Amino acid sequence: MLLEVNDLSLSLKRAGKYSKILDGISFQVAQGETLGIVGESGCGKSMTALSLMQLLPDKARLGGKVDLQGEQITSFSKRKLEKIRGNQMSMIFQDPLTSLNPLHTVGTQVEESLILHTKKSKQERRDRVLHLLRAVGLPRAEELIDEYPHQLSGGMRQRVMIAIAMACEPQLLICDEPTTALDVTVQAQILELMNDIKRQTKMGIIMITHDMGVVAEVCDRVIVMYAGKIVEEAPVIELFQNPKHPYTQGLLDSIPKLGERKKKLGSIPGTVPTPGNMPAGCRFADRCIHAMDICRSTLPPMINIQENHQTACWLYDEKEAKNDGSARSTELETALHN
Amino acid sequence: MALLEVQNLKQHFTTKKGFMGEKTVIKAVDGVSLSIEEGKTLGVVGESGCGKSSLGRSILRLVEPTEGSVKFNGQEIVGMSPRGMKELRKEMQIVFQDPYASLNPRNTVRKILEAPLLIHGTGNKKERQERIESLAGKIGLRKEQLNNYPHEFSGGQRQRIGIARALMLNPKLIIADEPVSALDVSVQSQVLNLMLDLQQERNLSYMFISHDLSVVQHVSDKVAVMYLGKVVEIADVKKVYKDPLHPYTRALLSALPIPDPVRVRNRIILQGDLPSPANPPPGCPFHTRCPMATKECAEIVPPLEEKTTDHFAACIHT
Ligand SMILES: Nc1ncnc2c1ncn2[C@@H]1O[C@H](COP(=O)(O)OP(=O)(O)OP(=O)(O)O)[C@@H](O)[C@H]1O
Ligand SMILES: Nc1ncnc2c1ncn2[C@@H]1O[C@H](COP(=O)(O)OP(=O)(O)O)[C@@H](O)[C@H]1O
Ligand code: SF4
Ligand code: SF4
Ligand SMILES: [Mg+2]
Ligand SMILES: [Mg+2]
Repeated sequence: MLLEVNDLSLSLKRAGKYSKILDGISFQVAQGETLGIVGESGCGKSMTALSLMQLLPDKARLGGKVDLQGEQITSFSKRKLEKIRGNQMSMIFQDPLTSLNPLHTVGTQVEESLILHTKKSKQERRDRVLHLLRAVGLPRAEELIDEYPHQLSGGMRQRVMIAIAMACEPQLLICDEPTTALDVTVQAQILELMNDIKRQTKMGIIMITHDMGVVAEVCDRVIVMYAGKIVEEAPVIELFQNPKHPYTQGLLDSIPKLGERKKKLGSIPGTVPTPGNMPAGCRFADRCIHAMDICRSTLPPMINIQENHQTACWLYDEKEAKNDGSARSTELETALHN
Repeated sequence: MALLEVQNLKQHFTTKKGFMGEKTVIKAVDGVSLSIEEGKTLGVVGESGCGKSSLGRSILRLVEPTEGSVKFNGQEIVGMSPRGMKELRKEMQIVFQDPYASLNPRNTVRKILEAPLLIHGTGNKKERQERIESLAGKIGLRKEQLNNYPHEFSGGQRQRIGIARALMLNPKLIIADEPVSALDVSVQSQVLNLMLDLQQERNLSYMFISHDLSVVQHVSDKVAVMYLGKVVEIADVKKVYKDPLHPYTRALLSALPIPDPVRVRNRIILQGDLPSPANPPPGCPFHTRCPMATKECAEIVPPLEEKTTDHFAACIHT
């Protein structure tokens, strides 16, 4: 397995005290696979990515285990981490302008990790930079190499970010909303580029997004996050055709679909609980139309629906399903057939 | 007669650039004509910077249009006196994208909703409170929540408060500028449902501005597609989405990621980026990226023409 994440947790200090931002996050990414992470804003997608990279704010408390190619990187020293960041694993951020250095040329920034991680000569590095700029579809590479980020459009900057991330041919590429800041026609160009990269390399990709359309376009497998926890995990087609968790179902029902006009959309009442105010049981209980007594008292475990498809919801617990009365089982029926 | 009739509207901004302060003119809106019928929704789509917000603002004269005509109920409002404008503002309201920035953080929701009534001297104290409470109910707020401040509400609730404020004076037209773009999908759908309910109940007209093609399709009767300050296609929503005529509309629609992993995609990938509105290409503004462009396209500015019944497009090759 390329990446194995085991029971990852993260606490951050806010307003003088620690609150848990991520809890019990476990998943895997295989070579050549694209894993999507979806969920609404604040659910912890970016923090999951930054935990993997160990690029966390001061005083962050990280728990659990992350193995990259069999090495437990959560126990690595700062120096050892710097060796793998940008080399074995790299990350693309949402906002290409703030993540590029305005004072350095495009070429210098793409070259940086080549200096850090390879023994290439100056000429070899220049050739590699030019090759990378062309590979991500940038025009006039020879001129661009000496230009500054502000001279580029949003789409071009994101291509530069991808070139930087790809410079050392990482095994794992983490993309945090790489197209959210872009217009739809430019987004299509970048998604096309990502799909090309996928076909041509054996890289594992983690694609973070809140856009179910993007998930459907590029991901092989998906995890759905809610309030700092994983609530469902399934292969992409299974997730869209047979969503099990009431949150996943609600999310999919809320999207306006082409061809359905002025129809009432599904929506999820209420709002996400804030870190530090998490309920004892299921974190979705306040907003869930199927909530039962046990949901409010006890955290639901991950339950296997079928191979590769799991969800954290009491509705699918056999004992719970048997225990509850007739009124509840009709509720269950509707939920199961949704 | 249409409720709103816009003819050849232009909104040009002059900015100073660089150390030398050379003047550049940005043609944010460049000769837009459109109309909105009573009780109907016109969707306005396009990529960022194409002039959607500028169009909405200059229709309401929040910025003074450079040229053109805007008729509301047959009455010309470009050049109208401030007093006449104040009366008309009751009929035309705006809802903004950012529910955080558009509500005064120091006022309670009750005060925020009362403000438009006070400005226009509508009703006595009791009538005003009745109206506030009835609208609060409509947007799903409890009476006691009216005494809370904006920061105590979620993004979706704040956007619904913004809509309630726009409705206080019983307008006929609401210009909604990206009203759901800052919201998560599950909350976005609550706001869209509310807007559609209110439209039915009050026969409201909407100009619904958004960069999100699926949202626009969902709420609109007619759709206008903008590119670099110009409307390049305008027609009934079904025609635009099923049978788009302009090459830009086709590319835009094909670029939309569809939330269905088994659907086969036929994507038109456009080359390059949006040109700057300060320096738009000559001829057809789309010719630098158009897959169908020919030599003439760089020379002729294609007029917005009726290609089939009630279906207008600005392209010399369709
Ligand atoms: N007050 C102003 N002064 C100078 N230029 C302006 C002003 N307002 C808008 N513009 C410019 O006009 C063009 C159109 O802007 P506008 O905000 O209307 O576009 P938009 O399509 O709504 O974009 P977005 O989707 O990003 O909000 C842009 O190039 C913008 O920079
Ligand atoms: N530096 C920080 N200090 C404290 N809390 C933070 C910090 N950064 C993010 N958070 C909190 O962590 C949670 C998850 O954030 P994030 O991972 O950014 O979510 P997403 O990317 O899904 O929008 C949120 O509740 C957010 O407020
Ligand atoms: S565990 Fe209970 S509250 Fe949570 S999603 Fe399932 S049914 Fe709803
Ligand atoms: S006029 Fe020419 S460049 Fe413009 S949209 Fe039509 S084919 Fe394309
Ligand atoms: Mg994020
Ligand atoms: Mg705008």
